[in-house]
Amino acid sequence: MSEAATAPAALTSDDAAPRRTGPNALAWLILPIALLFALFFVLPISLMLLMSVLTGNPMFEQGVRFTPENYIRFASDSYNWEVLWITIRIGLSTTLAALLLGYPLAHLMARVHSRTGHALLLIAVLAPMLTGIVVRTFAWMAILSDTGVVNATLMRFGLIDRPLPLLNSETGIVIGLTHIYIPYMVLTLNGVISRIDERLEQAATNLGAHPLRAFWEVTLPLSVPGILAGSLLVFALSISAYVTPLLMGGFQFMTLPLLIYQQISASFNIGFAAALGIILLVISLALVIGYNRVLGLLSGDRDLT
Amino acid sequence: MTPGRLAYIALNAAILIFILAPIAIIFVFAVNPVPYIDFPPSGFTWDWFVQFFTSDIFMRSLWLSLRVAAIVTLLAVFFGATASLAIARGNLPGARTITAFVLSPLMLPAILTGLALFQAYMFLDIGRPLWGLVMGHVLVTTPYVVRTTLAVLHNFDTRLEEAATNLGAGPVRVYFEVTLPLIKPGVIAGGIFAFIVSFDQFPVSLFLIGPGNETLPITLFNYLKFEMDGRIAAASVVSILISLVVVIGIDRTVGLRSYGKM
Repeated sequence: MSEAATAPAALTSDDAAPRRTGPNALAWLILPIALLFALFFVLPISLMLLMSVLTGNPMFEQGVRFTPENYIRFASDSYNWEVLWITIRIGLSTTLAALLLGYPLAHLMARVHSRTGHALLLIAVLAPMLTGIVVRTFAWMAILSDTGVVNATLMRFGLIDRPLPLLNSETGIVIGLTHIYIPYMVLTLNGVISRIDERLEQAATNLGAHPLRAFWEVTLPLSVPGILAGSLLVFALSISAYVTPLLMGGFQFMTLPLLIYQQISASFNIGFAAALGIILLVISLALVIGYNRVLGLLSGDRDLT
Repeated sequence: MTPGRLAYIALNAAILIFILAPIAIIFVFAVNPVPYIDFPPSGFTWDWFVQFFTSDIFMRSLWLSLRVAAIVTLLAVFFGATASLAIARGNLPGARTITAFVLSPLMLPAILTGLALFQAYMFLDIGRPLWGLVMGHVLVTTPYVVRTTLAVLHNFDTRLEEAATNLGAGPVRVYFEVTLPLIKPGVIAGGIFAFIVSFDQFPVSLFLIGPGNETLPITLFNYLKFEMDGRIAAASVVSILISLVVVIGIDRTVGLRSYGKM
């Protein structure tokens, strides 16, 4: 494995520029983005954290004080735990499905030798990413509805008498989410698998191992970091999905993002929504830090996160 | 070909169908004459496209989405390109940490970015102005520009700039005649991604759209909550085609491979 290879997702590892002197004139160009992130990223997240532990908005109300009330309210109501469990369950199913479908494709992408073949596969994987999530969710509604592609085809061939309840079900949510997040899994896995020396596999088969056994005992164990990183990323993304759980679940499945929106639009409970947001943020941050750790350890950049 | 090899190819073909078929399906329903989801299609019509392009609501949101995406692209290119130059050429201490931080909106769920901005606007009593939505989009699209521009900056040789300096060019001239032309493909690619991400943006917009300021994905979503007819398919086709035109732009400038590598 090459030490200089770049991490597949967000982090470029080329940082070896010589530092003979301190910051030069170009360093000032960091100011615009510093201002952007201070005002529209750090400040909002800090304010959300603040709102989650206040009794009201101190800008308009008198006697606002600190309170753990919103978090206690979350922890003491079993309904919220059920919402959290549904969110995690959908996240786990989506992650598993994306891994099972994404691995073979990532493997093919890593092992295809022609440049054109690789480019075509990459376009195929990226194409859905360039289609909005609302549009893709609509596509799956059209495929899975009672008169949709799957049910109409199965009924035409007499395989079923009545439509399968694919839409408005957890299965439907998981199918839709898998389709939306599978590119992230494939790209992460592909980054790791393409770094595994193909000759290791060839050596195993030359020594008499069945190709499947060579894969199972050589390639698969070496790609565990990719599996771990891809799974963390897809899980983090799918637990924060809003459109698909709502539309594919037929308004029947309450996940954390849906609960957050409901608290704002229907109950107008800003403080509780802020607390839910912080809970989702903490979960996501932990997952993303894990993702960066795994990929960082892999490329030898231990100080990435 | 061995049976194992054949199974491997068949499995991957099936997975590719799973990934690509849903997008093809939308085109089928956009030209199917019946006003509900019905398969296989029973005819051909352009009617849904006519209805889409003559609908006030859809046209207003399409136009708003295009304008927002255009402004967001310009701002993201400005913030992203300046930041990349500072990171790659500014000799800043902790450049790696800065990079990770600047890219972090890509890693965090976008719905949280939208929610946090909504909370901040509520706290400061700003309400939900259009510029608030634009800045939310700028925050989540700027990292794409940083990513593509940094990739280009890391790939080309600083000796080109040094050579120009040694030959007597001043720093301003080096910047405009060497650095800028070299990073242009990266900046353009990032800008194109910024445009598409803003144009298709849902989670950030969800909390930030004000009354009467609906972007196309929000309008599509509200429509889908109650109805599912050919108009929504036609609208989807139009939005896919707009993204496609933009992607062909990427391929013309730098090629899609550069994105997959990052």
